[in-house]
Amino acid sequence: MLDLRIPSGFFFLLLGLTLTGLGVFDPGLRAPLLEVNVNLYAGVAMAIFGGVMLWLARKRV
Amino acid sequence: MHLAPVDYVILALYFAFVLGIGWLLKKRVTSSSEFLTSGRAIPVWITSLAFVAANLGAQEVIGMCASGAKYGIMTAHFYWIGAIPAMLFVGIFMMPFYYGSKARSVPEYLSLRFDEKTRGLNAMTFAVMTIFSSGVSMYALGLLFQLVLGWSFTSSVMLSAVIVLMYTLLGGLTSAIYNEVLQFFLIVMGFAPLAILATTKAGGWAGMSARLPAVMTHSWSYMSNPSQNPMGVDIFGLVAGLGFVLSFGYWCTDFLVVQRAMAADSMSGARRTPVIAAFPKMIMPFIVIVPGIAALALAKMNVGYVLPMKGSGYDYDQALTTLMAAFYPAGMLGVGLTALMASFMSGMAGNVTAFNTVFTYDIYQSYLHKGAPDSHYLMVGRITTVVGIALSIATAYLAQHYNNIMDLLQLVFGFVNAPLFATFLLGMFWRRATGHGAFFGLLSGTTAAALTHGLTIAEDKGGWIGALHTFPSVMAQNFYIAIFAWSTCFLVTILISTMTKPKTDSQLESLVYGLTKIPHEHGVPWYKRPGPLAVVVAVICIALNFLFW
Repeated sequence: MLDLRIPSGFFFLLLGLTLTGLGVFDPGLRAPLLEVNVNLYAGVAMAIFGGVMLWLARKRV
Repeated sequence: MHLAPVDYVILALYFAFVLGIGWLLKKRVTSSSEFLTSGRAIPVWITSLAFVAANLGAQEVIGMCASGAKYGIMTAHFYWIGAIPAMLFVGIFMMPFYYGSKARSVPEYLSLRFDEKTRGLNAMTFAVMTIFSSGVSMYALGLLFQLVLGWSFTSSVMLSAVIVLMYTLLGGLTSAIYNEVLQFFLIVMGFAPLAILATTKAGGWAGMSARLPAVMTHSWSYMSNPSQNPMGVDIFGLVAGLGFVLSFGYWCTDFLVVQRAMAADSMSGARRTPVIAAFPKMIMPFIVIVPGIAALALAKMNVGYVLPMKGSGYDYDQALTTLMAAFYPAGMLGVGLTALMASFMSGMAGNVTAFNTVFTYDIYQSYLHKGAPDSHYLMVGRITTVVGIALSIATAYLAQHYNNIMDLLQLVFGFVNAPLFATFLLGMFWRRATGHGAFFGLLSGTTAAALTHGLTIAEDKGGWIGALHTFPSVMAQNFYIAIFAWSTCFLVTILISTMTKPKTDSQLESLVYGLTKIPHEHGVPWYKRPGPLAVVVAVICIALNFLFW
């Protein structure tokens, strides 16, 4: 049966890299009350989450 | 609120993965049981997260954030009192009967334990109710996207409905459950940053406590007197009405959530599903309620955040989306909106997959067409999925034009649901309870609920027979309606059961406490056993109550 960690891992890896890219190349994107580069931080967190999922799926635990 | 191209890319990426998961699971669906009940083969971590997500619809997310802004941290009672105890109870005490009976649905359990008329009553009301609630939440989503993004009502309703239809049609319940897990992760990652950013801006918990009335940051301190808290409820109404009757009635008997646990690959997995689900469930208040409280604090701080008004008060339902507009730049905004869409889809798919199972097995196979080959029921299950979604769309449009009818229906469903837990409690733990007792107990409980509503008034609601009592709030009235309905059903079921003929012990095997083997798990580590896990959940939940006392 399909290991759900593979598609969800890829999804969050892609989503995280998109946000990270946005945070790095366009750090000036701001919202009215925002003071931090949320795209960068949230992007890195999501990419790590996706990566860990894929790594766990590969290890077959 | 304005979306950038990247936000649309993120939304499209999500849709692609959701459909892709449905596509990958397509090959597995070769029988009606795989389509409708996942063939009982899903790992426990997946069923657990789906158990939380199926209940986490968009209305829940938006509504809880709104209640956070309106009532403060007291809203967490809907989790710490109104969900966790019932989730532990269904896992530890009730799942052995649901899973062990080999029933494919909750109504089917009722037919095995009691009789056909009790099952029929439950199946019919449940089927109508699931369509209604998925239609109403579709309506809410359409309205929200119209208001916030300027999307047309029809296009957002159709888009989301077609995507849910495609992936449930492709992979059945398995696909719905798998996607619910993806949706759960997305909801957490889409909303958690908002909670952190809004709380930090509002000065952290200390800053919010300093700026807001003390009642907003304490969950129990103001419960002794209904006039002191914004919910207008007293401790007995809260604990007995919400914490016992309504919460146990939903989490322990509603097939929408129970179906997720019943799809687990083993009895132990089925019992652990609600228990493991309780971990994320008790943390959810920090993701959905706390931002609401922060929104209210920010609105009073003159930092440039405005919570829109509606009449003389705030329009609390806009708390979540206005916060997103204030804190999320292009990119993260796309994730936030996708999370909102995901929460809506998980709620809708939950309703649709519960509806098609109950209709196919408990209505069609039981009363309309018995004894056909399985491929026939697989086809009926698929057609029912399409019909269910079409009916939900129709309900959404009906809600758009006849809001009063919807309010009335919601009230009536409340009356039908309130007594349910008494029937299940007696059915599972008292072998003397009979089918006649259960059926007439349910009817009298529903009648008692309607009478309580007719004889009491709260905020100008109810009192259509007379006014014997006035409640301080509609919420308090609802809690007491539930208490009266439950008690009536409980007593009438016992009374009629003692006068009618019970089933024999051999007929009740695996259905009732005392006649069911509950597996003892020797040699299994504690963290893989439902009992010890439930103790851990209970300790953390009690600690959370004290922390925010």
